[in-house]
Amino acid sequence: MAELTFKGSNYLKQKLILATISGKATKITDIRSSNGGLQEFEINLIRLIDKLTDGSKIKLHATELEYIPGILLGGKIEHQCCLDKSIGYYLDVLIAFGPFCKHPIEANLKGVTNSPDSPSVDHYKCSAFNIMKRFIIEVESFELKVLKRGMKPLGGGEILFKIKPVMKLRTLQIENSGMVKRIRGIVYACKVSPSFANRTVESAKGTMLNFLPDVYIHTDQNKGKLSGLSPGFGVNLSAETTENVIYAAEVVSNVQGTLPEDIGRECANKLLDEIYRGGCCDSTFQWIMILYMALSPKNVSKAVIGPLSQYSIKFLQLLKEFLGITFKLDTYEEEEDEEETDDNMRSPKVVLACVGVGYSNLARRVL
Amino acid sequence: MGNDDDFMDKKKPHKARHSGVKAKKKEDKKSKQLPTDKQKNPKAFAINAVRSAENRFHRKQDLKTKKHHIPIVDNSTEEAPPIVIGVVGPPKVGKSTLINNLIRNFTRTNVTSIKGPITIVVSKKRRITLIECNNDINSMIDLAKCADLVLLMCDASFGFEMEIFEFLNIAQVHGMPKIMGILTHLDSIKNIKALQKRKKLLKHRFWTEVYQGAKLFYLSGIQYGEYLRNEIKNLGRFIHVMKFRPLTWRGQHSYILADRMEDITNQETIRLNQKCDRNVVLYGYVRGIPLKKGNAVHIAGLGDMKIDELQALPDPCPMASKEKKRNLLEKERLLYAPMSGVGGIVYDKDAVYIELQGSHSHTRDNTEQSKLVREIIEKKQTFDEQIQNQEFRLFSDGDVIKSGDFQEDIDESGSENDQEMDDDSGMDSEPENDNLNDSSGWNPEDENDEENEGSVGSSDEEYQEIGNGNEFDDTIDNDDDDDEMIGSDWKEGVADRARNAYLERQSNNKSIMKLVYGKYHQNSSKNADSDNEEEDGKIGGLFKSISKLQSQIHQEKQQRDAEECPFFESDNVGIRNWLSDDNKSLVVNKFVTGKWKSNEDAEQLLALDDMSDGDSEVYGDFEDLETGEKFEGKTVKKDESDDENENKEEVKVSKKRDRVEEMNMTRKELIAKKMKLKAKFDSEYDNPELKDSHRIEDDEAFYEKWKAEADKQAELNRKEFSGLDDHVRSEIEGFRAGLYVRLSFKNIPCEFVTNFDASYPILIGALNMSEENIGLVNCEVKKHRWHRKILKTGDPLIISLGWRRFQTVPVYSKREDDLKYRFLKYTPNHINCHMSFYGPITPQATGFLAVQTVTNDITEMKRIGFRIAATGSVKEIDKSSSILKKLKLVGTPIKIFQKSAFIKGMFNSDLEVAKFTGAKIKAVSGIRGQIKKGISSIKEKSGRHVNVEPGTFRATFEDKIKMSDIIFCRTWFKIDVPQFYAPVNNMLLPIESKSQWTGMKTLGQLKREREIRNEVNEDNLYKPIVRQAQVLRPLKIPAALQKALPYKDKPKNAPINPKQKFEATRVAVVHSPHEQKIAKMMKMLKANYQAKKEKQKEQSTKKYVDKIKERQKGEFQQLQKQKELKRKIFKALSKKETDEKDGKSRHKKGFKKSFKKD
Repeated sequence: MAELTFKGSNYLKQKLILATISGKATKITDIRSSNGGLQEFEINLIRLIDKLTDGSKIKLHATELEYIPGILLGGKIEHQCCLDKSIGYYLDVLIAFGPFCKHPIEANLKGVTNSPDSPSVDHYKCSAFNIMKRFIIEVESFELKVLKRGMKPLGGGEILFKIKPVMKLRTLQIENSGMVKRIRGIVYACKVSPSFANRTVESAKGTMLNFLPDVYIHTDQNKGKLSGLSPGFGVNLSAETTENVIYAAEVVSNVQGTLPEDIGRECANKLLDEIYRGGCCDSTFQWIMILYMALSPKNVSKAVIGPLSQYSIKFLQLLKEFLGITFKLDTYEEEEDEEETDDNMRSPKVVLACVGVGYSNLARRVL
Repeated sequence: MGNDDDFMDKKKPHKARHSGVKAKKKEDKKSKQLPTDKQKNPKAFAINAVRSAENRFHRKQDLKTKKHHIPIVDNSTEEAPPIVIGVVGPPKVGKSTLINNLIRNFTRTNVTSIKGPITIVVSKKRRITLIECNNDINSMIDLAKCADLVLLMCDASFGFEMEIFEFLNIAQVHGMPKIMGILTHLDSIKNIKALQKRKKLLKHRFWTEVYQGAKLFYLSGIQYGEYLRNEIKNLGRFIHVMKFRPLTWRGQHSYILADRMEDITNQETIRLNQKCDRNVVLYGYVRGIPLKKGNAVHIAGLGDMKIDELQALPDPCPMASKEKKRNLLEKERLLYAPMSGVGGIVYDKDAVYIELQGSHSHTRDNTEQSKLVREIIEKKQTFDEQIQNQEFRLFSDGDVIKSGDFQEDIDESGSENDQEMDDDSGMDSEPENDNLNDSSGWNPEDENDEENEGSVGSSDEEYQEIGNGNEFDDTIDNDDDDDEMIGSDWKEGVADRARNAYLERQSNNKSIMKLVYGKYHQNSSKNADSDNEEEDGKIGGLFKSISKLQSQIHQEKQQRDAEECPFFESDNVGIRNWLSDDNKSLVVNKFVTGKWKSNEDAEQLLALDDMSDGDSEVYGDFEDLETGEKFEGKTVKKDESDDENENKEEVKVSKKRDRVEEMNMTRKELIAKKMKLKAKFDSEYDNPELKDSHRIEDDEAFYEKWKAEADKQAELNRKEFSGLDDHVRSEIEGFRAGLYVRLSFKNIPCEFVTNFDASYPILIGALNMSEENIGLVNCEVKKHRWHRKILKTGDPLIISLGWRRFQTVPVYSKREDDLKYRFLKYTPNHINCHMSFYGPITPQATGFLAVQTVTNDITEMKRIGFRIAATGSVKEIDKSSSILKKLKLVGTPIKIFQKSAFIKGMFNSDLEVAKFTGAKIKAVSGIRGQIKKGISSIKEKSGRHVNVEPGTFRATFEDKIKMSDIIFCRTWFKIDVPQFYAPVNNMLLPIESKSQWTGMKTLGQLKREREIRNEVNEDNLYKPIVRQAQVLRPLKIPAALQKALPYKDKPKNAPINPKQKFEATRVAVVHSPHEQKIAKMMKMLKANYQAKKEKQKEQSTKKYVDKIKERQKGEFQQLQKQKELKRKIFKALSKKETDEKDGKSRHKKGFKKSFKKD
């Protein structure tokens, strides 16, 4: 069938994911034609996709990529991720493919677990899984274990990610995001003094206690091999609402070194930003919600999310290209407009509604 | 008489009382809940027999659960597409007559020739499409895939023919539509009894095929070339009350049964090249699920196609108006059959015929419509041309601009607002309005239709607004828009502003869709071809905005290779300090400690309840039992929320007071809210489903919940997009079932048009995602019992799967216990086996059927008996096969040591040996071993090294093997599935040979045709068995052994003369006279003695017998005496007993005494 053509390296991962899911041959040209073509982390990503699929054909040139997808295979894989990007970058692929593979994925990914460029593994664990849970009926179908932590330049982290395939996703209707009832968090420190972690906890908690008394922040001190190869620390905070929506935010220390207090406060502020934006999913993982909604059975799915991020907008456009699905997007008007809250005060929310494409797991064997 | 009747009929009608005693009594009766019988007399309903009650209960439950189906989300639309009724049967059975009669029955019109689908309006809520199935298995398959109801016709005088059974099988595989049998030619059986018998026989045969109690209709005969009017009427009634259950495949795919076909290729190109690819337009109702624009479709008998254009058209056969009336009006009984030439216009190859309905159409009517039509007809140019040639001058001395120059530009920008562009074309020259193109990709008319109609100007303003939002608000905005990399070392205030602007844009924009999709349209078109870009720059060929163009290209380039950022905001730019008071107030209500929505806040809910108590005088009537219960519900709810946020109440006491005050202000509103809640509760409370299932609540509740969920989803599916404009709706949802659409296709082989035969159904089935791809399909298959031959691996097979019919080469296999797929050369009889073939990817559990040929060849049909060769279902999709074939490698020993040996002939090189090192091997004698290592030479006895052939290896065994042993190595060998996939494109064949499609032939067919025979292997022939008698050498036992043997085992070597007999050695004895006397005497004495002995013996036996007799007699007498005695005693005893009893009853006291006396 006809080939889809794109230009440029931007959103390469999303394009590859959607091409594989939709089974459409894709060609991407002019990838960084001026500076260096495909980067190592992208080639690494393609290699991971190759491991996950069967019968896919990939042609790589310096600035060109041709991809004819095969079927999703899954199974046990081990992958050394490129250190330029954190494992989160690669985890996206597993999350998108996982429910539609032939075999359950048991992936052992090695590399950088926490870095500011992509969502960290903790971020996935608390908020991405929360979104996935709404679409996948089986409760115990995914799991993420951080075996070792690895910070940026040298990495050395390791995670185990498991996800079981399903035949179909569920349609989702969610409008009420509820109110934040608890704040949880984790502060991790690798190869640095434990006091860093404690100081981070203190400042993060100090900020959050202004809003809610139910704040618990754990510390995760790692020693020896478990702490990877580079020093660093960071904090991940999550807020759970009465409707079990989870917002999360994360801040990781720079290589040069940052004050732990600053990091704690910054993360808390980020989380508050996230809470302010509201909606029924974390803004970082809007794309998961959008993707799963698009792939759900041929019924109307509806969800209220915070303002669309640039990433989600692009993703919606790509979805239209690959799956031919258009979302109905509306601004969300809350039922009761109370006088005290001005329109300026509330952040704009978006109602996503779509008819799913009725995607079913074609690879899996039925009895 | 009539008058009398009228008179009699005029009785005074009954008038119900509205007031008075009687009315009041009735009212009371109604209002008061009278006790039911069960309540009045509970004993009567008590369970008497437990077992039978249990049985009764079980039976009731069984019947109930039998009715349960898995709830399916009902996707039916308000305006359902017409029901497809396929009329199927062997030739000469009366199909066309039936269709004719049905049409006559419903619409009172006659259709002269029946070709293709005929749509008619049957009743207020139902339309039907009748289609006749010709005698071709291709049509039968296609029809089975799209028919909702099948009228299966059968000649009763002949009985069921093979076609009927074949069709039933086809239908079953593709999701069993409703089937109604119709027996015709009943009048040819004259004898009533025979007729009845025949009917019964056929009915039962039909039932076994379809289901017990399937409807079989009898058309008893033909009168004046028509079936009896009554029977047709009944059949019609059956049809229009029939209910249908959704079928799986059709519930997941959309499909169209095309009822009109037009060739819209340019006549000039056809003239130049007769065989050029054609552009074809097909029309039909969308069925199944909504059809999307991007969908690929499969046209059965033609192949996969991409829809070039898809539009909804006004319904040619609309449902009757919604007015309340009993029957259809005469003018609403519509008939639409373009292929049969009834719809009005018939397109022939070289002419257009317009059918005029009777003479009245000659009268010239001067209505506005007809005028318009006439005008159009009289036009010399087409509309396109007219628009192309429209001219207009912008400046008095400027060039004349033809609108044709614009046309392309507009089309490419993806906007469908032609009219809009026409109005604006003058203003295009202004640079600001460049934005107009940018944001108009998402058809903006849709959002503000009403405004638009009023004035074009207003919509322009809107564009300006968007433009402002996009670009003109803030110059830095652009960067923000394209990539979020706002320079982190930029001023902070800018970042803040940028963020706010971004959010604002999302909130202020009336349609986010415009933001998301509108802009993108333009983008994608640019991506497609960069030439377009330049055209965008040149606006109307008048101005060139080069700088703009440059910057755009630059921006785009930047965007192309920008780093993607999954976060909402990259880096930490623009994060607010939430601890400042202004910001804090924004977010504080997002926490449970903040302010709740009034319908969630426990405090407020409580207050509401209090208030309603206070107001109870006003709403006195509502204060009944139910409200009491409602209060309970409330408090529970309060408790829950209390747990969650105890803190909240502690922290914010002061705020709460404020809120209570506020509440008082909006009291009326609150009361209204409360009423709403109350109504909600009431409906829940009154819902019998939740209330009455006490006994087995779990099962019932589960099912009910599931059903309710499906219903809710169906409701949402219907409601969600119903308010939208049709254009937007079709974009989001697709063209929903029931719409009449026009699909145009490009580059269709010319044979489709030139060899078009309307009697073949054109089934256009949409393909879901990735179903257009081809892969390895693994499925479970069973050869049909009635098919005479078994199927062979590697023989081509025609498979009907999903929408498609295609020929492919399957490989059969069997799934072994160790989950290995073992290659099979032939399908087994009567059991399932596994089949893999290269074909279109289809969802699992889709049924398919296989036939060996689709040609209508009678000899072939006789040979195979039943055309359906196999049926099965898809199990799994793969890209690489995993079928293994058993392969035995054979080798022979060349040298044998104690337990190891050198084996040759199994492999060809050392590399192969290396690969198989450690593999298990086995000798014919059963001795097991292992491959060790390849060798290159062996040492002979002489000490010389001799080279051996490559692939020889050393192996060890558990015991010494023999030189005569053959060594086996059992291995598995992967079989590849041949990559052959050829769709059956019978639509392209000439009309006379449409049913003669032959694809790839089987090897057997080819050999038979060319009379090629394999050469016979002489060794395989049977010959008479000649057995030679075995000659054994004499047995020699060594002397030493002979000596040691016992006598009986010793060889008896001494010769025994067999001739010397005993008689020969005997000597005759002759007595002397004396001796003779003695002998005689002795003889006499002996005889005497014996006689005496005999006598004695006789006497003694007699004595003995007598004695026994005597004894027996004595014993008998004694016994007799005893008997007598016993009898006396018992008599006395019994007498006493009766006396006792008597005595007891008479005088109880005298009882004991009398006993003692006895």
